[in-house]
Amino acid sequence: MKTTIVIFKKELLDSLRDRRTLFTMIVMPLLLFPLLISISSRMMLTQTRKAQEKILKVGLDTHGNAMDFRASLMSRKDMIVIEGIPLETARRRIRGDSLDAYLDFDPGFDDRVESLSRARITFYFKSKDREAIGKNRIRDELERYEHRLLENRFARLGLNMDIHRPLDIHEQNLASAKERLAEAVGGFLPYLFILFCFMGAMYPAIDLAAGEKERGTLETLLTTPAGRFQILTGKFGVVVLTGIGSAVISMLGLYLGIRQVSEIPPQLFTVIMSILEWRSILMLFTLLLPLTVFFAAILLSVSLFARSFKEAQSAISPMTIAVIIPAFIGLLPGMELNTVTALIPILNVSLSTRAIIAGSVSPLLMLEVYGSLILYAAVSLLLCTRIFSNEHIILRT
Amino acid sequence: MIEVSGLSKHFPLSREQKKEKGRKALSHKVTAVDNISFQCRPGRIFTLLGPNGAGKTTTLRLIAALLRPDSGSIRVAGYDTQKQAFEVRRRLGFLTGTTRLYERLTPLELVKYYADLYGMEKQRFEKRRDELFDLLDMHEFAGRRIAKLSGGMRQKVSIVRTIIHDPEVMVFDEPTVGLDVLTSQNIITLIRQCREEGKTIIFSTHIMGEVSLLSDDMAVIHEGKLLFNGSFDAFSANMRGKTLEAAFIDLLKEAA
Repeated sequence: MKTTIVIFKKELLDSLRDRRTLFTMIVMPLLLFPLLISISSRMMLTQTRKAQEKILKVGLDTHGNAMDFRASLMSRKDMIVIEGIPLETARRRIRGDSLDAYLDFDPGFDDRVESLSRARITFYFKSKDREAIGKNRIRDELERYEHRLLENRFARLGLNMDIHRPLDIHEQNLASAKERLAEAVGGFLPYLFILFCFMGAMYPAIDLAAGEKERGTLETLLTTPAGRFQILTGKFGVVVLTGIGSAVISMLGLYLGIRQVSEIPPQLFTVIMSILEWRSILMLFTLLLPLTVFFAAILLSVSLFARSFKEAQSAISPMTIAVIIPAFIGLLPGMELNTVTALIPILNVSLSTRAIIAGSVSPLLMLEVYGSLILYAAVSLLLCTRIFSNEHIILRT
Repeated sequence: MIEVSGLSKHFPLSREQKKEKGRKALSHKVTAVDNISFQCRPGRIFTLLGPNGAGKTTTLRLIAALLRPDSGSIRVAGYDTQKQAFEVRRRLGFLTGTTRLYERLTPLELVKYYADLYGMEKQRFEKRRDELFDLLDMHEFAGRRIAKLSGGMRQKVSIVRTIIHDPEVMVFDEPTVGLDVLTSQNIITLIRQCREEGKTIIFSTHIMGEVSLLSDDMAVIHEGKLLFNGSFDAFSANMRGKTLEAAFIDLLKEAA
């Protein structure tokens, strides 16, 4: 045990002095969430504000109809109404972004309204997401106009407006805010934590195995009285610690990111903070720990098998995709933790984290998840030990 | 004392070797060491001379209990390398010319790490460390990261790392390969000093100058087999006026 601790302490010191490890384990997870939250929320707010404040240029051809609508549109300060533009020119200008919209009324519009028929207005626009707010302003104006026409018609016929809407539907969503949020972000958070666990463990695993082989220091280490199992355990401990450490730091990053952005609605803030309560975090880490052991054993095995740092790097980099895919599947709507998905590594952590956040964890399924994760960790650890005991693999460069 | 008896070691063919030999290959194994026996005595320097790929490194790795022999036995300081590997490693110092160091550690940290692995007590370690640092004039750079040290400074750190636990058996695998003259001289001095201290020393080389400079006893190894095993004086007596290099080449030609 004493030898294992000596090796663990040295490997940890060595790894913490490695810039690549520091970057993937501390800098990236700590900064990613604050940067992501801050930049995306600021960009979203700026874009929304821009779209709201923009004065729309609206082409209008009523053919002498709908004078009240024309007057209402003209009175708006957030729109400039331009009349007399031929349709083709208007279409070209919309495509070229020099006109925001064009409303073309049927020539017989008023007559059709008068005869209680449907009267057509053609609404030309070019909409990408950020222009939707502008488009909606014109649509709102049109809907208000339609409502006024409808009221007039009902008044003329002496009918109550309720005839138009026979049903009075009151929606009552009984899902808690936490459950709704779990569906929205519950898959995304474990996805990131799993990825950080893997990435945090990646560089130390490459450096402590393939790197040492390449430098020849592993050969020297093996000539000391330290047993192979003690050496492996010391290295393994560091790889697991950096993986878990990376996930902890990313959680801290998430907390800091949320604290620093004042634009987050207080209700959402309270819900996210409740996710970050110690019980949820503890459950998350009991899942991440066996998963990280599994990652560490696989990473060390591949790294020990490689002849050089570069070879290990090119073998391990594509493995990131193998981690991303099941974690990503966990993001898909409708994916749930069941007896089958509980057995699939990574996906089971992703889905059970979602269940933990939603507060709807099934103890039996969780038991299955823990069981499978511990089994995978044990098998991969056994594989790693066998590779480390193989003199041909360990000493070849 | 190192006693090697009937030692053999085979390795599986590498992918490249399999390609080279094709289907004609009778065996999927290559013999690295083929039934060799020799003894290295305390207070004497035993040189293992051979060309590249002769089996020198494999022999030394077997002695250091890094590899397990397929047949035969090795006793180091009276301990069997297979059955008592821990005892063997406690008494052994291993230095190769190609080994690098942990560049992110300082010499102080690195030497302490190895002393801890050898289970040295604090007082004994500090005394030994100070002696060696004085001897090799290392105090000035002892706290600097190894990555920032020169080749000569690094070699000094390697030497201290190897002998910090004062081993009774020293194994040097081509220790001067790739080093400049001055740094090589440090190694030569170390090997001689180990002899004076009565340690058992085995070192491999393909540099003739080092053989004549250091050897008390020697063995010539080629394709895993020993072509000569005896004292350096006995080898010199058979040279019949030839240079050491010419005698060595003739020996290889005779074996072929």
